[in-house]
Amino acid sequence: MKLSTFGFLTGRGLRNLGTHWAMTIACVASLAVCMSLNTLASLVEVNVDSMVGYLGRQNETVVFLDPACDDATAAAVGEQISAISGVSGVTYMSKQDVLNTYESYMEEYAALWDEFENDNPFKANYRVTVSNLSQLSSISAQMETIPGVVKVTAPVEMGSIFVQIQQGVTRMGRAFVLVLMVVSVITVGSTIRLSVFARRREIEIMKYVGATNWLVTLPFLVEGLAMGLISGVLSASSVLALYNYAVQAAGGLSGIWQILMGTSLVPLEAVWSTVAFYSVAGGTLVGGLGSLFSIRKHLNV
Amino acid sequence: MPDIPMVNFEHVSMEYKKGGRLALEDINFRADPGEFVFLLGHSGAGKSTLLKLILREILPTEGKVYVNGNDMAALRRRKIPYIRRQMGIIFQDFRLIPSMTVYENVAFAMHVTNIAKKEIDERVPYMLELVHLADKAKCYPDYLSGGEQQRVAVARALVHAPKLVIADEPTGNIDPELSLEMMELLEQVSKTGITVLVVTHEHELVHRFHQRVVTLNHGRIVSDVPAAREEALL
Repeated sequence: MKLSTFGFLTGRGLRNLGTHWAMTIACVASLAVCMSLNTLASLVEVNVDSMVGYLGRQNETVVFLDPACDDATAAAVGEQISAISGVSGVTYMSKQDVLNTYESYMEEYAALWDEFENDNPFKANYRVTVSNLSQLSSISAQMETIPGVVKVTAPVEMGSIFVQIQQGVTRMGRAFVLVLMVVSVITVGSTIRLSVFARRREIEIMKYVGATNWLVTLPFLVEGLAMGLISGVLSASSVLALYNYAVQAAGGLSGIWQILMGTSLVPLEAVWSTVAFYSVAGGTLVGGLGSLFSIRKHLNV
Repeated sequence: MPDIPMVNFEHVSMEYKKGGRLALEDINFRADPGEFVFLLGHSGAGKSTLLKLILREILPTEGKVYVNGNDMAALRRRKIPYIRRQMGIIFQDFRLIPSMTVYENVAFAMHVTNIAKKEIDERVPYMLELVHLADKAKCYPDYLSGGEQQRVAVARALVHAPKLVIADEPTGNIDPELSLEMMELLEQVSKTGITVLVVTHEHELVHRFHQRVVTLNHGRIVSDVPAAREEALL
């Protein structure tokens, strides 16, 4: 294809955006709405996943040390726990630290407190958090084998529930995104098809004067890609603006909502590039494919 | 007589699947390079089907259609555009693109057939001059009269120097005076060696010109009066 022909047909595709502005607005609006819904659904999934993960991580596993352990053995146990793959946090609690946590509860039992201070019945322990709750059971088993460890109390059942919730949310989110994507392609395809149908005469003329299918398709493809790109940019901007607002609003929450949303919402900085890339690339792809599929049946002239 | 006819129908029959209607029956017809032929017939005579076969929009149920020596049935789909580039088509309803100026409508036919810009810049003004529309180059079709629109369609059909010009009821939407003008223009075109096929149902117009007339009726050629004989009759 000659460069001048390519330039003419590409320019024609871009000019068509303005010439058929009503159709352009309809296509861009429907595609932008569908893309935004998809992105929002994905963000909800990511954030619910993050929230459940956050809640799950709050359930600490307690590794009790043998009362006969000296400081060196306790430190060695701590090092071995830290070395286990999947362990995200290890905090040492000495016998005195454990006792201190009960101080406020024992104000009315001064005699008992005095006795405990003289002969501390609590065991020194490590508070362990894991990065992936599904590994909790196997990590607990590994910790139990470390010399100096007498008992491991892990919220395995609770962890399992959180894992199930997490998996359920992920599955539902993905199914929702898939359904929305199918709906998007159908909606956008129908709108573009309508636009192509309105200009079937132009296609017919091109075919009669001897344009090849590729030459006929090019301006429509350019138009579809451009509409997709615009939709992607619009979708990404609006979703990110909305998300930024949600993140900021969550920061001002209090109580349980603050714990749930203020702490575990994925920050904007962590998602904006992914959202921008997938919205723009996805929009452009759907726009281009929509044009290609819509024009196909009009090429048989 | 030249060896290769521009259009050649050999025992062509065409039956549409829908309704099983026989649109053409055993058609034998040839048009040589530079020949001017009127295809005359009433509505439903088979004129449109004949044109569709030449354009390779459809294939015959029986027989062979050749255009410039190419067997249209044997032609691969991707080769069709290249055969069509040898043709110029003028439609009754002009089929101009309303969002393009006169210049762009004419240039469009060259742009979409991959012709270099330099050639387009030379050919289009020349063609517009030829059809007396140079001063309307920047106008949009909706602002032109029927006759002017038809002349744009003629310019578009001729701009890429086709070997065959097909005019489908070219005078259907213009007044009688302009119709004569249009036919005279097409006659001039045929004198340059281009084959011209004019499909029409207007007997009066046809008899004003001394050209070959092929008459179709109910899908059959009922008469084929050569140019000389037509002249003698008049």
